[in-house]
Amino acid sequence: MPLGGNRAPAVGLGNNNQGTGGRELVACLVISVVLFTVGVRTGEGGPLGVVRGAFQTITTPVRLVGSAVSMPFQGLGNVFSNLTADQATLSELEAENGELRSRNAELEEAEQTATRLQGLLDLRSTYDLQSTAAHIISGSSDSWSSTVTIDKGTASGLSVGMPVASSSGVIGQIVACGATSSTVLLVTDESSSVSAMVQSSRAQGMLNGSAAGEVRLDMIRTDQTVEVGGIVVTSGIGGVFPKGLPLGKVTSVEKNPGSMYYTIVVEPYAHTETAEEVLVITSLTDAQVATSEDVAAADAQETSSGASDAPAADANDPTGASGSGQGASAAAPAAPTAAATGGQGGRHAGR
Amino acid sequence: MQVADKNRNRRDILVLALVCGVCQLALAPNIGIGNGRANLALVFTACVAFNVGGRTGVLAGFLAGLFFDLSTTGPIGLMAGCCAAAAYAMGQAGRGRMAGELGASVVEFSVAALVVSLVYHAAMLMVGQSSSLLDAVAPRALPTALLTIVSFLPFAWFYSRSTGGGPSLSMGGRRRGGGSHLSTRGL
Repeated sequence: MPLGGNRAPAVGLGNNNQGTGGRELVACLVISVVLFTVGVRTGEGGPLGVVRGAFQTITTPVRLVGSAVSMPFQGLGNVFSNLTADQATLSELEAENGELRSRNAELEEAEQTATRLQGLLDLRSTYDLQSTAAHIISGSSDSWSSTVTIDKGTASGLSVGMPVASSSGVIGQIVACGATSSTVLLVTDESSSVSAMVQSSRAQGMLNGSAAGEVRLDMIRTDQTVEVGGIVVTSGIGGVFPKGLPLGKVTSVEKNPGSMYYTIVVEPYAHTETAEEVLVITSLTDAQVATSEDVAAADAQETSSGASDAPAADANDPTGASGSGQGASAAAPAAPTAAATGGQGGRHAGR
Repeated sequence: MQVADKNRNRRDILVLALVCGVCQLALAPNIGIGNGRANLALVFTACVAFNVGGRTGVLAGFLAGLFFDLSTTGPIGLMAGCCAAAAYAMGQAGRGRMAGELGASVVEFSVAALVVSLVYHAAMLMVGQSSSLLDAVAPRALPTALLTIVSFLPFAWFYSRSTGGGPSLSMGGRRRGGGSHLSTRGL
């Protein structure tokens, strides 16, 4: 029977464990006090801090495992808190939640607006545009034309023929101008025609809309280089649009047998469905208008194809001798507004 | 006749230390009441102190406390001293007391856990880690003591089963119905 009843001395290691550990306790307490003092005085930058850092590093995998294991149960504390919360607290939290949601929506809207406006400012500063900002207030009111209405008109200095761009690129041209609003004909409209060129090869042509909403780059000869993915920009010929504004990206290039021109489909950069703010370009600087060299290059591009290609030559004729809608848009450097008005307005009238 | 199996004793202490260490690192940070977290170092200290006591208990308590200090952001040495003192106190009344005495060991441990927790958090208050005594005691010290006591229960239950030749670390210290102290199973 063990001696001492319930408090019997133990066997095993206890037997070899002589003494009550008083001396060890004193030693441990002294070490503890020293460690404590050193630790408090030196802080995390001291030697003990380094030891602790090493310890934390070594034990990180165990902590990560524990965190992963306990992850599914992390929400239990919240459940208990929610169960014990009084009705007033819950009502207050619900009201606060609704308010924060509303505020969050407002801020997101403001952020998107700021992003769009920043894009417009970037476009304006990049191309040094003399412009007026406007809001798109409505889309096309009929199924025949692709237009949008903006909230600025003649009272803001706008006039028919002025080009309109969003932060992504050109969207169209003003075709009707009231005192406080204007109608913008989009580049996707069937009657729209903008002198354009492929940025990489400088091949010049006309960007035309279509009834199907597809935009084509016409008048590009098959001996020119055009690749899918190429960027199409305004050529500046005609003096309506500033030179170099982005229009879209080539999505397909087809070479039809017997034809001297490619069939090029362009995906416009600017989509009015996503644009809310636009820039109306009110005037061009000399640097933004195509130079005589550009015009001569365009002429050379056409004349090199031979005299039999009369329509192509007309389309890019800076004298505007053909009198066509396309030609009018591209062929009046001295009077861009009038040219655009004549070219596109005439088509509208013809409908 | 008494036979000591020192190697097995040490192995059992190491296994216990490993279990408590993993629990301290992996589980304790993720289970809390208020700001309180379980102190598995004190649980380990108590298990060794109750079953072994003496200088081994004190040294085990000191090292366990040091482990705790290193795994937390508190001052190093504070819990080491607390655990060493607690091990000394718990080891004084005798050894092998967890065998068959679940209630008594839990009560004794609860007192020790409460005292250690209060002392530790009072010291933290003094070194400026806490803003007020109420803040140190109500949401920290008391939940910590409670969680520590709860986490001690499985260990207490485990070692209380050592009556009649149960798990090791009980050292076969007190066998119900008498019998010799011949034991090569425990510490």
